[in-house]
Amino acid sequence: AGSPGEPLPGLVLFRWQWHEVEAPYLVALWILVASLAKIVFHLSRKVTSVVPESCLLILLGLVLGGIVLAVAKKAEYQLEPGTFFLFLLPPIVLDSGYFMPSRLLFDNLGAILTYAVVGTLWNAFTTGAALWGLQQAGLVAPRVQAGLLDFLLFGSLISAVDPVAVLAVFEEVHVNETLFIIVFGESLLNDAVTVVLYKVCNSFVEMGSANVQATDYLKGVASLFVVSLGGAAVGLVFAFLLALTTRFTKRVRIIEPLLVFLLAYAAYLTAEMASLSAILAVTMCGLGCKKYVEANISHKSRTTVKYTMKTLASCAETVIFMLLGISAVDSSKWAWDSGLVLGTLFFILFFRALGVVLQTWVLNQFRLVPLDKIDQVVMSYGGLRGAVAFALVILLDKTKVPAKDYFVATTIVVVFFTVIVQGLTIKPLVKWLKVKRSEHHKPTLNQELHEHTFDHILAAVEDVVGHHGYHYWRDRWEQFDKKYLSQLLMRRSAYRIRDQIWDVYYRLNIRDAISFVDQGGHVLSSTGLTLPSMPSRNSVAETSVTNLLRESGSGACLDLQVIDTVRSGRDREDAVMHHLLCGGLYKPRRRYKASCSRHFILEDAQERQDKEVFQQNMKRRLESFKSTKHNICFAKSKPRPRKAGCKKARAFFGTSVGAGAAVILTVESEEEEEESDSSETEKDDEGIIFVARATSEVLQEGKVSGSLEVCPSPRIIPPSPTCAEKELPWKSGQGDLVVYVSSETTKIVPVDMQKGWNQSISSLESLASPSCTQAPTVTRLPPCPLAAEEPQAPLDPRPSFAFPPSLAKAGRSRSESSADIPRQQELQPLMQHEDQSHLSPGTASSHWCIQFNRGGRL
Amino acid sequence: MPGSLPGVSSDQIEQLRRRFKQLSGDQPTIRKEHFNNVPDLELNPIRSKIVRAFFDNRNLRKGPSGLADEINFEDFLTIMAYFQPIDVIMDEEQVQLCRKEKLRFLFHMYDSDSDGRITLEEYRNVVEELLSGNPHIEKDSARSIADGAMMEAASVCMGQMEPDQVYEGITFDDFLKIWQGIDIETKMHVRFLNMETMALCH
Repeated sequence: AGSPGEPLPGLVLFRWQWHEVEAPYLVALWILVASLAKIVFHLSRKVTSVVPESCLLILLGLVLGGIVLAVAKKAEYQLEPGTFFLFLLPPIVLDSGYFMPSRLLFDNLGAILTYAVVGTLWNAFTTGAALWGLQQAGLVAPRVQAGLLDFLLFGSLISAVDPVAVLAVFEEVHVNETLFIIVFGESLLNDAVTVVLYKVCNSFVEMGSANVQATDYLKGVASLFVVSLGGAAVGLVFAFLLALTTRFTKRVRIIEPLLVFLLAYAAYLTAEMASLSAILAVTMCGLGCKKYVEANISHKSRTTVKYTMKTLASCAETVIFMLLGISAVDSSKWAWDSGLVLGTLFFILFFRALGVVLQTWVLNQFRLVPLDKIDQVVMSYGGLRGAVAFALVILLDKTKVPAKDYFVATTIVVVFFTVIVQGLTIKPLVKWLKVKRSEHHKPTLNQELHEHTFDHILAAVEDVVGHHGYHYWRDRWEQFDKKYLSQLLMRRSAYRIRDQIWDVYYRLNIRDAISFVDQGGHVLSSTGLTLPSMPSRNSVAETSVTNLLRESGSGACLDLQVIDTVRSGRDREDAVMHHLLCGGLYKPRRRYKASCSRHFILEDAQERQDKEVFQQNMKRRLESFKSTKHNICFAKSKPRPRKAGCKKARAFFGTSVGAGAAVILTVESEEEEEESDSSETEKDDEGIIFVARATSEVLQEGKVSGSLEVCPSPRIIPPSPTCAEKELPWKSGQGDLVVYVSSETTKIVPVDMQKGWNQSISSLESLASPSCTQAPTVTRLPPCPLAAEEPQAPLDPRPSFAFPPSLAKAGRSRSESSADIPRQQELQPLMQHEDQSHLSPGTASSHWCIQFNRGGRL
Repeated sequence: MPGSLPGVSSDQIEQLRRRFKQLSGDQPTIRKEHFNNVPDLELNPIRSKIVRAFFDNRNLRKGPSGLADEINFEDFLTIMAYFQPIDVIMDEEQVQLCRKEKLRFLFHMYDSDSDGRITLEEYRNVVEELLSGNPHIEKDSARSIADGAMMEAASVCMGQMEPDQVYEGITFDDFLKIWQGIDIETKMHVRFLNMETMALCH
């Protein structure tokens, strides 16, 4: 609204606003370039199998730096120490701390600490002193103006083994895990020593060697303890906070992953702020919180945490190496001195090797499994230097350290040499030396059991001998953890079922289930493992799938708050497993692929589309339900002819009395006759797994029922989940789902397996509702005879939940239910918002009353 | 064999003797009850099995089955010898032998009726005890875990089984087979070297 006198500038159709977006745009662009480069490298398997990715990235950085230099005439986009320490390093360290095999770390803690502390000190002092000696001998050009302190400072920053570089190279080499954890653990834990040495030397240099008092040396030693222990303490405090916070996220699952990252980052920043060892803080935070966090957060959050962490770490690592390459191009920083460069290269290699040999000799006096010569060679050679050294050397103050440019150049050469030359040759070296590689044998249940037995035996023997050794303390710690920590930091539901053996069993079961399905279910009929009074392997698979169903518990219903439903303490199988399962379980049932295609769309399509399709499906199902016109036999609504065995419809009702007045209505058509093996593929009688939020929208719409492609037999469980969740007992308190398994279910299990089946069912039930008094009352309905056309209203007025028998049965018919469930879960959160806005308890209850009545007329 | 503990110095044997006396209350032999005096042992879920192993005639090399009522110091050392670390100077054959002995100790612990087989019942028993530390895990699940483990053992040892074949239990050979490829070097050793840190008793 300009004044009429002035000419209006007119609407600008196009405006270039580069400067407003420049900074974030550049960041995004560089990350993109790095990621694209990564993709390109991995196009050729040959290249990446020979050359480590870090080398390629550094080389790429060199090329890009050259281009930038040529175009912009000045070096830009370099690795800034601030960026590096605040943004690029934390994700990598968090990733390595969080996924650190803690048992392995603690088993080798003595060695790791020795190498990290003594080794780093040794390297720093010997390298610094030797370089000074070199200068005194006149082998370093006199223009390098540095005294003993300067060289010690340089030695302190160049001597630390770098976690980023070590990780990048060793991940591709696959040496045995002991060797890996020693080298990698050293690189992580030596950070405290590096930080202290660097700071102490730096301040000494700034003070000038003449002013350094004896007390300053003592302070320097004391600060080593302050920095390392302080950093670790900060990490542990945040780990504690993190674990405690995730205990209470039951209703806001969505922010669980965020919490993990936020608090870990806060730990890093806090340590950095207090000038403690930030790397140590994050490592300890990740290491300490993992056990409790994993038990507390939901399965999906776990997957998210894992992937996000890996993505961030890999991204940061890529960018670091690329920027390292780019930074090397900047010739203004360079000041070359051959004597210094060559001397440094020689000394770091020589003293590293010497230090490793000496320390290993001492350590081997104490170690149960001594480190042999080959191990020592790999450890010496694997001492890679990296971006930490580079960032530290950039941080030097040129006015105080006149030889800074020489140090920078030398550091770059050292980093490049170790990453490129040693990185390239370490793989052939490992092969040539025949270093014991890591064996990836699958964990077996027996092994897990035996190892536990061993742990107990060893602890007991130490008790008997009265020798308080490692096992004794580990045992003590575990008891303390079990008694206090876990109880404090874990959700009660997660705590009570937490057991390592059970976890392994559970994971193996899922593996079995997958292989079972991969074989197309042939195992069931072909193997006849007969063990005296033992369920066959197949029934183990049954158990596992039933477990799985229970895991997705109300997810079997179209529960809209699906994130809530997945129980955390139980499902330890990792993300890969999860995806495998989705795919694996679906595969053999190709028949339904076409009909289920909507769900596939749903997975990837946009939210809107999701909603539409979801509503369509809902509509259809609802109408098909309506269109049955109070019919007794729901089977008639089926598009496909049912088997003659369908004779009865059963209904379960569980009422939930409360504000929501949610009604669970389970209408179940079940084949009376026992199914033969052949019917395993006949999935005609699969019920709809139908839990609709009583959206008025859905109810109003639609007339004609579509064919019920997915699950022809309507099994309708229509509570209004949100209300229900608040009211229904299995959602609250223990968080334990009650598994309801009809005894009818056993009928579908082949006779020879019934025992096993029953066992697994009972074990499930007992697990699901452990012996706790607060457990919801299960109204267990007796299997009704043919007359079961009258719905049986539960006598118990208390809320109850019936796990639909055919769901349990789906233990056999894994494919649809299991494959369906995750997909349905995917789209539910999308519906949630809308539904909540639509749904008021009143409408819900009134609507479901109708349903209820209808059910009553059945 | 009893009494000879290669790799354990006479110093350590002296330490062990002192500990033995402490346990036995200056008696020449230890009976089962004496183990009740070890307070740290209380919390061990498989405590009874471990204590029993000390008195097992098979472990003491005194007979194919049965339990000894009491053990003297030499027997005590014999049991302790099962936990000695593998020495660097041993050759491959000795290492294998050593490994076998250690596994045999474990096997005897599982095979409580000394019939040379770990039957399903025995296995279930062990698993139940292992899980007994967690009161929330029911016996049934312990049972199914044992069943699963047994199944696994059967498939490892027998391969594909005929429908009417019956797997009666894990024999020692099967047991070795299960342990193939698993490093036990670090798993069944107690360091007696640092005896000076030995806690003087409660």
